[in-house]
Amino acid sequence: MQPVTEAESSSIDHDPTSSGDNSVWAHVSPLLSAACNDLQEGELIHGDNFNLFAAMSALEIMDPKMDSGMVSTFYSIDEAIESGFAPVPISSDRTVDVQCIIDIMDHLLACEATWHMGHSLAQTVFSCIYVLRPERTSSHALLHSFCRVIRATCRALVSVVSDARTNEEEDLFTMTYGLPFSGDEDAKGLLLLNAVEETICRQLRACKATSSKRRVLDELEPLQTNPQLEESFCKALLCRIRFRKHFLHALNCMRRPQGRGLELARKHIAYCIAELESVLSSVEFLGSETVENGKNEMEESTTGSGRHPIGFEPTLNKRLSAPTPPRAIKLLSWKKAIDYYVKLLHNLDQICAFKLEPDLDAVLQFVVQFQKSRPDLVARAHLQLLLVQDGKLYGRDTFLTICARSLALDVTKNHGLHLNEHILQLNQLMINLLKILCANTPWQRRKLGKILNDWSVFNVQMGITVGHMMQQVTTPRTPKNGDKSLLILNHIYGWLEEQIHWVALRFLVLGFDLELYSPSEYCMVYWYMYIILWKLAEKAHFRVLIIVHSEERKAKKKEDYSRDMAREDRISLWVLLLKCQTSLAQGLTVMIAALRNEGMVLKSQGPFNTENEKFVQHFGLLQKASLPKYDAYESFSESTCHARLDYLPVYECFRDAQKMAKEIKVGYANDPDKLAEVVGLEQVAEHNIIAVNLLCQDRSLKVSFEFIHHPHFATAVVRRS
Amino acid sequence: MGDKEEFDEGEIEYTSYAGEHHLPLIMSLVDQELSEPYSIFTYRYFVYLWPQLCFLAFHKGKCIGTVVCKMGEHRQTYRGYIAMLVVIKPYRGRGLATELVTRSIKVMMESGCEEVALEAEVSNKGALALYGRLGFIRAKRLHHYYLNGMDAFRLKLLFPRPHVPQMVYEEEPQPEHEIYPRPRD
Repeated sequence: MQPVTEAESSSIDHDPTSSGDNSVWAHVSPLLSAACNDLQEGELIHGDNFNLFAAMSALEIMDPKMDSGMVSTFYSIDEAIESGFAPVPISSDRTVDVQCIIDIMDHLLACEATWHMGHSLAQTVFSCIYVLRPERTSSHALLHSFCRVIRATCRALVSVVSDARTNEEEDLFTMTYGLPFSGDEDAKGLLLLNAVEETICRQLRACKATSSKRRVLDELEPLQTNPQLEESFCKALLCRIRFRKHFLHALNCMRRPQGRGLELARKHIAYCIAELESVLSSVEFLGSETVENGKNEMEESTTGSGRHPIGFEPTLNKRLSAPTPPRAIKLLSWKKAIDYYVKLLHNLDQICAFKLEPDLDAVLQFVVQFQKSRPDLVARAHLQLLLVQDGKLYGRDTFLTICARSLALDVTKNHGLHLNEHILQLNQLMINLLKILCANTPWQRRKLGKILNDWSVFNVQMGITVGHMMQQVTTPRTPKNGDKSLLILNHIYGWLEEQIHWVALRFLVLGFDLELYSPSEYCMVYWYMYIILWKLAEKAHFRVLIIVHSEERKAKKKEDYSRDMAREDRISLWVLLLKCQTSLAQGLTVMIAALRNEGMVLKSQGPFNTENEKFVQHFGLLQKASLPKYDAYESFSESTCHARLDYLPVYECFRDAQKMAKEIKVGYANDPDKLAEVVGLEQVAEHNIIAVNLLCQDRSLKVSFEFIHHPHFATAVVRRS
Repeated sequence: MGDKEEFDEGEIEYTSYAGEHHLPLIMSLVDQELSEPYSIFTYRYFVYLWPQLCFLAFHKGKCIGTVVCKMGEHRQTYRGYIAMLVVIKPYRGRGLATELVTRSIKVMMESGCEEVALEAEVSNKGALALYGRLGFIRAKRLHHYYLNGMDAFRLKLLFPRPHVPQMVYEEEPQPEHEIYPRPRD
């Protein structure tokens, strides 16, 4: 019974708007029976707290759109089994049996990929009776071991994703209640599958052997009864089995602490990719009988052969798929499932190939680069668990060590620092940041916007503390015991501001990736990017100076000290890249502002509000975090309202960007990702110089902004109307 | 259904929700055109609590479009929300949806709403363009928002704040050649 808070005119509750602690339990039957006489179809009695969620939760029984029905083919799994829906063996004809098992394997792959893409395990992988009840198949080694490994793989993935959990995206993935998940038995699956693989290998050898050798192998029974198909069937099974085996191994290796299993995982991943290719090519043999189904049907099919698999019933777990009303889902096709796996494996390989450097710049750049291919949940969860383990980077270094390293400072002598209240807080902020950066980009952007405020509050607090401490110190020299805590805190305080601007830039740039900006808003977006980039470059440059200074001192002290020139160069190069982007952002701002001022592109103006409101909406979170510290809109409109096309700085900005890009390209000659980006920036600059020239000469030209050379910096495309 | 209907804008009549007799019209339009199924309680929730925000469009007695909305407190702001907007295919592209939604937004503004929000599928170019023209921005993207796995945009329209009289400063003389845009500290 629900706590009654209100019913039309009754005043059972003192506060009719709440159904919380103030609610009183009351007997509702008399009211209901009285109301029954008056209620028409579609009417209801409700309290004041009846809200949209409650209304939306109502199901209209028998409405075909809403009620997909509890009517299922089978009432229970037992009933399905009794009716012979999932026989063991599947067929007494061993050729048919093998064929059917291959179909089951393929359909399971499609089910798994569909699960990964955001549907429930109950409606996908566990729609298979053989997976649901593995004990039934113990006499059938092939089917049994394969299903056990599938279950073990699901378990491993549920564990990864639930450990990495950050937002609602993971909820459906990890929802396993009511499903039979017996870990111990499933763990033996790999051993069994190995034995099965071994047998099939021998069967394959036997069928390929010449007649003389065959006699020796005679006691070995073939896989199935048709000698002409033996080789192809053996091969089709082997690649599927091996894929499963290596995939589970790869997952297990990736979970080893501190990234110790990554190298081995890479080997398994490479095997997986190779086996998947064989799986894909087996379709020539498997699909040969079902060609008459037509090509389109094959594309949509969930199996390589194009046949429907035996033993699957998606409605079996309907009673488990609460809390959502049961709805039919569309499975990915087998081909799409393979595509998904190829992408997943490449993403996992990217993670394994990452050099786990204790260098924050490297980590941040890697995560950003990784996210560019839009990895799916499973890959992102793995990355997150690798980066953050036991509150440390890769489970190895505290974030104090990492931050200090990025400033070329040594913190090993300053033990007290690890317990410093600000350092503890910083550790937490960094952990959160890394977790957020591994999440899906729409959620990531929202969350980055929110944490900006936390960072900025922390920055202010730390500034006050460090300021006080600095004042109290009479001699600024380092104490004899080598404790440089104060100096380190002071530098970290400076570094914080760089980090905040990095987060702000990521927030702005993700807006392009997520298509949140419309062309009429580009001017303000580039203006804001310019402001943030400018500051970020300044702060990063400051860090370079600190590093150079401390390295020089170290080198002076110890003659044999080898300066970490590679790091110095890397950061300097990064600063130059930021400056190049700053110039581009500035050029785009002025160019678009000029076009707007000269009436060549439309102003952002609707009937209900002005550009000011849009500005506030897009950048409110940055303003709240005092980025920048002044009234940004006022500054934006002041600085853009006089822009004209023939105004020189437009060219200058793009030319500066072009010049810097040329310089940076040399530095990134060995980094193809970075090089590609810089080439893109250079092209944006080049094309925009040409566009400005053309537009100056002929103001009747039409101009649009497109992301043909870089995902975040637009190229002006000029057309004759 | 796909064919364009020949009609004159003047022939379209707009009316505010006026009672139970309008409910089946709204329900059948939304059921036909939108993928999400709604129970009658959802429709009643909207039209009973905010009848003034619901409008219908008729052509020669036939209901061809509707908008259903709500408004209320949302995280310290008073926010309007556009729940459903439908114009049947033969009548699209002639500004009927803009007219319907504009009527709702005006009532929201007059009722003291600070902003208006809604969700639209990322692939729904028509809706995105329509709301873009009205001044909505794409405030957020919502990952896998719909049951079919599609993302949605949360669109938002912020109304200008009521004008608060401020201290008048003497205007500073502007430098002749402003170097724009220049960051400040």
